Amino acid sequence: MNEIGLLVQRLLDETTKTSVGLFVPELVLSGTIVAMLLCRILPLLWRVPAQWIALLGAFTAFAWTLCQFDQLVGGTLQAKEIFTGLLMFDQFATFFRMFLCLFLILTITLTVLSGIPDREDGPDFYTLLLGATLGMMIMASANHLLMVFLGVEMASVPSYAMVGFLKGRKKSSEAALKYVVYGAGAAGVMLYGISLLAGLTGTGSLPEIGHRLSLIVSQGAGIGDPIVRTIVLASLMVLVGLAFKLSVFPFHFWCPDVFEGAAAEVAGFLSVASKAGAFALLVRFGLAFSGGSAAVSEIAFALGIGIGVLAAAAATFGNLSAYGQTNIKRMLAYSTIAHAGYMLMAVSALMVMKYSKHGGAESTAVTLSCIEGLIYYLFVYLFMNLGAFAIVALVRNQIFSEEIDDYNGLATQCPLLCFCMALCIFSLIGLPPMGGFFAKLVIFASVFKATSVHWAMWFVLGAGAINTVFGLFYYIRILKAMYLKPRPDGARKVSYDLMPVGLFVLMICLPTLGLGVLPARFTETFNNVASVLLTGR
Amino acid sequence: MQAIGPSPFLFIGAVLFVCGVICMTTKRNGIGILMGVELVLNAANLNFITFSRFTPLGLDGQVFSLFVIVLAAAEAAVALAIALNFYNNHLTIDVDRGDELHG
Repeated sequence: MNEIGLLVQRLLDETTKTSVGLFVPELVLSGTIVAMLLCRILPLLWRVPAQWIALLGAFTAFAWTLCQFDQLVGGTLQAKEIFTGLLMFDQFATFFRMFLCLFLILTITLTVLSGIPDREDGPDFYTLLLGATLGMMIMASANHLLMVFLGVEMASVPSYAMVGFLKGRKKSSEAALKYVVYGAGAAGVMLYGISLLAGLTGTGSLPEIGHRLSLIVSQGAGIGDPIVRTIVLASLMVLVGLAFKLSVFPFHFWCPDVFEGAAAEVAGFLSVASKAGAFALLVRFGLAFSGGSAAVSEIAFALGIGIGVLAAAAATFGNLSAYGQTNIKRMLAYSTIAHAGYMLMAVSALMVMKYSKHGGAESTAVTLSCIEGLIYYLFVYLFMNLGAFAIVALVRNQIFSEEIDDYNGLATQCPLLCFCMALCIFSLIGLPPMGGFFAKLVIFASVFKATSVHWAMWFVLGAGAINTVFGLFYYIRILKAMYLKPRPDGARKVSYDLMPVGLFVLMICLPTLGLGVLPARFTETFNNVASVLLTGR
Repeated sequence: MQAIGPSPFLFIGAVLFVCGVICMTTKRNGIGILMGVELVLNAANLNFITFSRFTPLGLDGQVFSLFVIVLAAAEAAVALAIALNFYNNHLTIDVDRGDELHG
């Protein structure tokens, strides 16, 4: 009896003294959700607009994660496992939590400006938005298989509802049904894979998986070995769930439909935030195989090659399918599939270099630049993709259309919006001196170094290079419509307030340029995050 | 009493999983697909319980399945609400009839 008392005491100590203090940003978001719902119940507080409460909560969480990140870099806070090893608190996780909170602030501001949830639905919409962000933050700091599944589900379930949020629209309800059906299926398959992995290793803790696997995989066991086969099957099933969240090639079919049916604001949120969370999780899952024997490394190496092939397929498919699209949101959806492919190349190069037989100082340097490239790309992607979707949303409010043909001659009526769209598109294409170019450069450079380990990486690199050219043409179509075509007579006039709307759009779009012109300031931070994740220093 | 190993339980779990996947892929009715998802989730649950009895996973496995049950309920609630919304707009829950978006 005494032992149990001691155990409970220790658990309470660990939870209250360290874990809860480091978990405050998530708690703030949860508190904000409760506050918004309470305001709905109490008649006195009905008049408090939900967006201000949501914005306040998001700002507090962002400031808090910023402080935590600062302290982690400064060394006053140490990286540690919290909640008895369920979550990991380190620079990598905190960077992504900060990233997600920043993105949340920008998305809420955008919805306030474009007015997509009406006054009646505001609290519901922001509850879903904050809830989804909370799930993604848990994905980014997951350190246990249970948290992997919990994070994915917590991020997905509110997203399903947000997609179907436009009332009385046939397309919106159809998009939501498709999303929920495919999403639930992918989550189920992923859970089955997790159950196999947990059963094989006898633990759910991610950092221990590599070690435990090397106990059961005998040396020199090939794919014919039943245990190896089960490990590969389980890992592939987990990857199915993550690939669905990333909308990578064979699991992308929901993406264009969902983006077309959902509001542009929601599509922008899903395209950036859920990808960021899923990539953080994928990197953690990929690194979980480290610390094992040579046989385990070989399995992980093969998985890395597989991810590379998937990445090449996703980039090619996304870019080629984008050609025939007439709806701008649908085209951007295919472009996000292609961009997920580019980012996945970094993960593939990371796993190939990390688990190659001839490791050493050089391969450690390459793995560093892989993670650095991934983070850099995600950071640029936040601004360029949100910028594009924000402009689509703002233009939709004026011309009530999302067809590319209706964008003809828009530059004569709203030069600022079109200029910002051009910035985003140049960055999405990857033209220098935009941020998109340098981010692609870092990723391609690390893939190039990985070619020395396995020939398949040449294929991945070639696909990436060709796709950069493919991408050029369909993006240019938007610019051609806006700048070169004449505005048809009798087209609806576009007008917007320069002060809040124009400023907000500029604020999102200028960083795409800034991240390209001043890369040195950022790379230092990104490099630091990557080196702490990989080497613990 | 003769001891039973983990294999029969895992076998039933695998059968449930395959049934669920077949159900998800062949049913055209939205509710039918969700039933398939439930089968898959419960197949995983059965695996977790089995592993908690026979491997060092221990109580973690049971906690896993408890969480999965809670999440499955939440997911089913949202999914049914969306299916109802789809029905209100289309007067059917046949997923093939949702063809305004061409994926």
